[in-house]
Amino acid sequence: MYEWDFSPVLAEGGFLLVGFRNTLILTATALSGGLVVGLLLAFARLSHRRWLTVPAGIVIEVFRTTPPLVQLFWFYFGLPIVLSIEMTPFLAASLTFMIQSGAFFAEIFRAGIVSIEKGQWEAAKAIGMTYNQCMRRVILPQAVKRMFPSMMERSIELMKTTTLVATVSYADLLFQANELAQKTFRPLEVFTIVALIYFVSISFISFLASRMERRFAKSGEFTP
Amino acid sequence: MNYIWNFQDVFNNWWALAIGAAGTLRLFVVCLVLGMGLGLIIALGRRSRNRPIRWLSTAFVEFFRNTPVLVQILWFYYALPIIVPIEIGPFLAAILGISLNSAAYSAEIYRGGIQSIEPGQWEAAKAIGMNGLQTLRRVILPQAIRRIIPALTNRGVEIFKMTTLASVVAYVELLQQGKLIASLSFNPLEVYTVIAAIFLIILYPIVRLTYALERHLARSD
Repeated sequence: MYEWDFSPVLAEGGFLLVGFRNTLILTATALSGGLVVGLLLAFARLSHRRWLTVPAGIVIEVFRTTPPLVQLFWFYFGLPIVLSIEMTPFLAASLTFMIQSGAFFAEIFRAGIVSIEKGQWEAAKAIGMTYNQCMRRVILPQAVKRMFPSMMERSIELMKTTTLVATVSYADLLFQANELAQKTFRPLEVFTIVALIYFVSISFISFLASRMERRFAKSGEFTP
Repeated sequence: MNYIWNFQDVFNNWWALAIGAAGTLRLFVVCLVLGMGLGLIIALGRRSRNRPIRWLSTAFVEFFRNTPVLVQILWFYYALPIIVPIEIGPFLAAILGISLNSAAYSAEIYRGGIQSIEPGQWEAAKAIGMNGLQTLRRVILPQAIRRIIPALTNRGVEIFKMTTLASVVAYVELLQQGKLIASLSFNPLEVYTVIAAIFLIILYPIVRLTYALERHLARSD
């Protein structure tokens, strides 16, 4: 029978903590960038200009139907060749996950915007608002409320997807775990602890999200 | 920006990609069957009257949905062999990680589908003398599955994309073979472009089909 021994792993706890911090930094960067990219893509896809809708549609479909790991390799190993630039793991990962999550966010934004009744647009137009004003003051505030659950789900997916960056040697939690497992010869304990860290932090975020959803639900009209 | 693309080396190695594609397909089929099958069992487990079964199924779903699938694959590959006396190769580790993860996700889809069927259907089936299992098989599931086909197809697409993660434990699939070609002929740009294109060509029609199915079901319901 194998005897579990967490002490060598716990002694190096700071090592994993660095990884966890890097995971959070990457998630935050990709998330904030992804939301902007997603909103822009959604607007482009909803516009009436073909030169905007077609490219936006292509970006969205390509990034939704190809595996994120292939995208990451493309950005890390392939893109520097075309642009003849230096690529760091962090930059490649931020770019990949920004656009990848942006493609998914775009569909969420679009569905949310489309779900707002036509009457709202007409009413805003009737009191003299322009398209942009109506979008910003009337449509988006309502749409964001409806999209909130799927947006949280996507953000959690994004946090889980960031583990892929370990394959291009960015020191995220999983990468640090791999290093530590080799250093301490305790892969069982290391990977179990890392799985638990992800489990606890992601469960905590989902818990917060569901509490906020309930608050939204109480504060008026809400589509689950 | 004046890089000249050259796909020659990629096409010269088409057989390596073909072997990779076969590996991807094999892993996909196994994980699809296991994931969707186990998912149904777990969904039923969450509805069970037996408290430990219900509790275990819920714990399973929560655990596998709230940890990254790559961590699961690496756990099965590096950690599990230490406590169980069996050899765990890349194929088995990938199967375990991807199938169990997909089982947790599809369990939630099945559960949503079963819950969406009106209670009246259960009562009607009971009234004409069916037991729980009969009702489920003859009345509830046929209707529930019809409603969740788009969600299940989406899950299938996700599973197909997830198979690339097996390359991390050096299982021979498309991306792994791509890495090999790129390291031999120094053409990562062309190789990864081709691999992305292969996935796009296979998955895009399926994604379109899902959209069409969704619209069709929305109309007929």
